[in-house]
Amino acid sequence: MVRKGIADKIAIIGCDATKFGERWDKNQYDLLYDAVKGARDDAGITKDEIDAVWVGIFYFFTGLSGAVVEDILRLDGKPVTRTENYCASGMDAFRNACFALAGNAYDVVLACGVEKLMDEASSGLPGFELFGHPTLPIPSAPAMFSLAATRSFHTWGWTKEDLARVAVKNHENGSHHPKAHFRRPTTIEKVMRDVMIADPLGRSDCCAMSDGAAALILTRIEDAPSYSSHKDDYIVVKANAISCQTNTPWYNPNHTFTSFPATVKAAKMAYKEAGITDPRKQIDCAEVHDCFTITELLNCQDLQFCEMGKAAEELKNGTFNWDGETAVNPSGGLKSFGHPIGATGCRMLQEITKQLQGRAEGRQVPDAKIGLAHNLGGAFCVCSTSILGQAD
Amino acid sequence: MPGTKALANSDEDSITMGVEAGLDCITGIDPKTIDGLFFATTTQVYTEKNSAAFIANILDLRDEIITADFTDSLRAGTTAVCRAVEAIKANKDIKSILVIAADTREPEPGTFWEYGLSDGAAALLIAEEDLLPLSIEDYYSVSANVTGPWKKPTDKFIKTFQDKMDNKFYFESLTKAMSGLLEKNNLKPEEIASAAYHYHDPRVLGIVSKMMKFPQGVAQNGLFLQIGCVGTPMAFLLLMSALRRPKPDTKIIFAGYGDGADAILLQVKDKDLLKASNKGRMGLLKHQKSMAQLKNYNTLIENKKLIDRHRYSRRSSAVTLWRDTKSLYQMYGIKCKNCGTIQYPAMFKGCYNCRTDDQFEFVKLSLKGTVFTYTLDHLYGGSYLNTPVPRCIIDLEGGGRIMLDMTEIENPTENVKIDMPVELTFRLMHEGGEFRNYYWKCRPVRGRP
Repeated sequence: MVRKGIADKIAIIGCDATKFGERWDKNQYDLLYDAVKGARDDAGITKDEIDAVWVGIFYFFTGLSGAVVEDILRLDGKPVTRTENYCASGMDAFRNACFALAGNAYDVVLACGVEKLMDEASSGLPGFELFGHPTLPIPSAPAMFSLAATRSFHTWGWTKEDLARVAVKNHENGSHHPKAHFRRPTTIEKVMRDVMIADPLGRSDCCAMSDGAAALILTRIEDAPSYSSHKDDYIVVKANAISCQTNTPWYNPNHTFTSFPATVKAAKMAYKEAGITDPRKQIDCAEVHDCFTITELLNCQDLQFCEMGKAAEELKNGTFNWDGETAVNPSGGLKSFGHPIGATGCRMLQEITKQLQGRAEGRQVPDAKIGLAHNLGGAFCVCSTSILGQAD
Repeated sequence: MPGTKALANSDEDSITMGVEAGLDCITGIDPKTIDGLFFATTTQVYTEKNSAAFIANILDLRDEIITADFTDSLRAGTTAVCRAVEAIKANKDIKSILVIAADTREPEPGTFWEYGLSDGAAALLIAEEDLLPLSIEDYYSVSANVTGPWKKPTDKFIKTFQDKMDNKFYFESLTKAMSGLLEKNNLKPEEIASAAYHYHDPRVLGIVSKMMKFPQGVAQNGLFLQIGCVGTPMAFLLLMSALRRPKPDTKIIFAGYGDGADAILLQVKDKDLLKASNKGRMGLLKHQKSMAQLKNYNTLIENKKLIDRHRYSRRSSAVTLWRDTKSLYQMYGIKCKNCGTIQYPAMFKGCYNCRTDDQFEFVKLSLKGTVFTYTLDHLYGGSYLNTPVPRCIIDLEGGGRIMLDMTEIENPTENVKIDMPVELTFRLMHEGGEFRNYYWKCRPVRGRP
């Protein structure tokens, strides 16, 4: 048996995302409908051309099973699968959709994601009291990632100011994005004096709770030219990787808390599949999981955009600016968009698609040819990394 | 009269303090060799569910032991000691019984009770052996039906009719029991080197001493102004205080009061053994020295849950609690038979280090370690109570890595650091499932061996 990868087999022929934010006026059906409608219009297809759907949803209150999709599209009983894989739920919907096409099970599939967090009365991600072992301590999401921040400060001498630069960069980028939740730049001083959530992470180090949806229409690469909208600028999937590690890293005696093994592994798999040998030079733009400022810094290292321990310095030197050597979160990232969990992965993929198509108005990374989307979820347990490129 | 008193933290109750006293007491003793555990308290965590069995489980005693709770009276502690002596005498299979007394009596704010009532725990190991530091020679009890202080099951606080009347009951019972003991053993008051008897107010201590005609310095005093009246363990702590500088062959009276009184006659057998046993343990003195000061009255009433605030409620399961007891309560980890890596908890199937499947053996983990990394959680479980709470990853001495909340930490922003040494302490976590969910936390080193 020869294992065949996904590279150069699947094309993205249409995509869209809603505006992210406190969408009190919309429910999950409205949001997903808007994203899917946008993607269909972008691809120029009718709903009946969709053969199957994968939808990323994290929380049961957003929707169990694929029924949310059926209830907005009335697909007459076509297959719909809900994927849940923590923050990688949306990107795993995309990955599974790609494999179904590669297996020739379908001709056109929809990969999408949605999350409706703002209907819940919770000041952080709801439901943590329900997760995991009933007796063992469960840290909140900011507390989990703070554990890595404290250790990184200790190991590499990073400071709160280094973290603040991530927020400043991403909010600057987000201020140019019409669909971002937050569209105002911030300053190092403001970030540093914001209220503490889980020391050393303050409120401005954390991404916000948000509502949103995103969708992508996929087909096999040989069929892509037959869909009129993006005959010449459909985007090609170069790699889809996912890595799952322990969800209780605090019990792993070897964990350094200065690196996320799931990101390291997923990146290696993705680079091998896409033939990337020098990520820093070859990846033009990347949407990197920045649920917290520390997460982006460590991920940039684990994605090999810079040497271990150097991310803070590289960020300061502008390496990760939208016009830097490797543009990281040119959209503004989770910091600007918030994190409607099931939607985020698809939002990143459609963002990279638009960058590679040269349609990222106001935030276009110059000459972007290869892009990467990356999610890290749970207690750094699951990482999705996908690489997209222009059609040859 | 200025003084201090000992108070339980918000995550402590009579069970967790009983565990703490028990751990200190059995330092250097294999818990599997102890044949019974008696627990004395007036502040039972459960009125139907045995605390002694619970504590024995945490202390990792055997299953085939005797356990009993002695409750509803302040002299439950001394009563438990007497009953332990009888059990050992009566049953040749029972050689030792750990007697633990703990109380967290809640005074009504603004009443005179608030001045003296405090929280504490103490443990005594009663055993039949050839070489003993201290022997129990005899005991004598009286029973009295008095309408002194009481607390009905529905009452939140202790009530009384008249404190003068309470004192009359106290004088009568206590002197009757102690005099009876002296008479029975043909002893004169001046032959007693120390008298460690329960008291709830320095004035009544002096009156009893005069009534008993004890020479100056025999009645154990001073402790009240340092720790208050801790309830059932009070006589135990006074005894420990009396044993700080033991003289050979001296006789000691150890007495508890509550609906009657118990008076126990002790004799110092081996002064050096007694001194040695004090050395290896935290005992009274090291606990007193490492007490933290409460910041203010608000912290106290929050700790005591006297103000009702929104609290975080996790789900729970009696099933997982039972299945995972070895990991959760007795702190066993697992050791990979292939690579030797010690890890925690014991529920996973693959080795974190070498990935070998399911090749583990149980190992007892240390209750000491150092901080590998931490965060200070300002939104702890949404409770917003006494925050920030340090949440720490701890590397345990001898192996095993674990995540624990930190308790008893003052000014965490300044004081929590990577590599700081900590010790584990058994605490209340939450009340999910409508029962009390306990687990280990860590705290700055107080010096428990």
